[in-house]
Amino acid sequence: MIQVQLLTKRYGPHTAVDGLTFTAPPGAVTGFLGPNGAGKSTTMRMIVGLERPTSGTATVNGVRYADLSAPLRSVGTMLDARSVHPGRTAFRHLMAMARTHGIPRSRVEEVVGLTGLESVAGRRAGTFSLGMGQRLGIAGALLGDPGTLILDEPVNGLDPDGVLWVRHLVKGLAAEGRTVLLSSHLVHELALCADRVVVIGRGRLLAEAALGDPALGAGSLEDAYLRLTAGSVEYRAGAVDGGTR
Amino acid sequence: MTSSPVTFPRVLASEADKITSVRTPWWTVLGCVAVAAGTAFGLGLFARPGGGATGASLVVAGYVLAQLGFLVLGVTVGSEEFRTELADVTFVAVPRRLPVLAAQAVVTTVSALATAALALVASIAATAAQRDALGLPLSLADAETVRMLVGFVLYQTAIALVGLGLGALLRRPAGALVTAVTGVVVLDQFLAMNPGRFTDTVRAFLPGTGTRLLTGDDRLAALDAASSGPHPGSWAAGLLVSGWATILLVAAAARLRRGDFA
Repeated sequence: MIQVQLLTKRYGPHTAVDGLTFTAPPGAVTGFLGPNGAGKSTTMRMIVGLERPTSGTATVNGVRYADLSAPLRSVGTMLDARSVHPGRTAFRHLMAMARTHGIPRSRVEEVVGLTGLESVAGRRAGTFSLGMGQRLGIAGALLGDPGTLILDEPVNGLDPDGVLWVRHLVKGLAAEGRTVLLSSHLVHELALCADRVVVIGRGRLLAEAALGDPALGAGSLEDAYLRLTAGSVEYRAGAVDGGTR
Repeated sequence: MTSSPVTFPRVLASEADKITSVRTPWWTVLGCVAVAAGTAFGLGLFARPGGGATGASLVVAGYVLAQLGFLVLGVTVGSEEFRTELADVTFVAVPRRLPVLAAQAVVTTVSALATAALALVASIAATAAQRDALGLPLSLADAETVRMLVGFVLYQTAIALVGLGLGALLRRPAGALVTAVTGVVVLDQFLAMNPGRFTDTVRAFLPGTGTRLLTGDDRLAALDAASSGPHPGSWAAGLLVSGWATILLVAAAARLRRGDFA
């Protein structure tokens, strides 16, 4: 279970996350939604200790991430598919991660198989496409067989086959009783794989509800999302002036 | 799965795995050895009988260029994580952060010691014919010779750690390398153009003073006669460059401990 309480992050005058409180319970996929710049990635980075909160707390199973003795065993994290050394092979990348926790080579081979990377595991990660990088990131997240998963845009760059695979993967992980927090811009995709959603805008909580909860209103998740975030989109494109010709 | 906490030996194994699983460090090691031996050989061509050279001074002469390789080695280990955004993955696995820097310091020390020892052996071989021709023996019974040969290895290792500290502190390979070369080589040369009490004193406290570890007694006496700054002993000069490495690593640790990875 992930618990975020009154989490705030300021960079000088700019407030990226503003008193955010929500819970990602075990046994469910919690979709994390919000416009670009809403603070989703910053929130996820604070949960795993990469950024220090200005105030507030984030805990996993009641423990601050930095206090976990074997973090990869508790929490699997995939934040950015580019977080690899381009000159290191996928297998050696995973081995270096595994060594910090004494995770055996057999488990590295297992996650390579789980993510379908067998044929490219010996290739340098710099030659990977975005989709292959995502698979490598997910392999790293699964390495410690963790009870909690934090995945930032995991389907970004994946082909339709890969999108379907991630959908089944996260639903299966939640069905095993694990906690899954998954961010995505793809509202349709989240409607298919999430059990509940947390919607934020400008760093603040806009809604936290199970899919189908009347709080999200009638209509599709996309309708609810657009209605909720109407006042907090930071980068809105201009209307296409196509009808006046 | 059984519980298996993050321990320092495990972080060390991970960092050792990282440095051996990419090509750059191997090329850097090869470069250090080749440059040290090549430069020693090249400078040896100009040595004349009665020119003040000793067997040891011919062997260690390659330090001038080789130290750049050792700086690169340290800077690479310290900044590569941040350049490639691998830092996210590394510090999610080791959220206490400092064990990673400590492990990098151990890995850098071991690889620099081994590289410097290899460079020394290569330099001894490269200058063997010249030393024979000039009648300059390399006697390990001679305290000055031993001090210069050991000094070569220790100085290069300390310089690699200065590179690591700057790389980890600044997090950008290019910026860290320019700063390192300026601080270790360029600034000293620049100040040497304006000798005086102030500039000589400043020069005595720069990391490059560590080269006194591998400078012969006669040459040191000549340098001291020309300088109006302090004249640290060889081993004190070695401690001084180690001090620079320590200060930079402590500063990098402070930034690592308190800061964000944004």
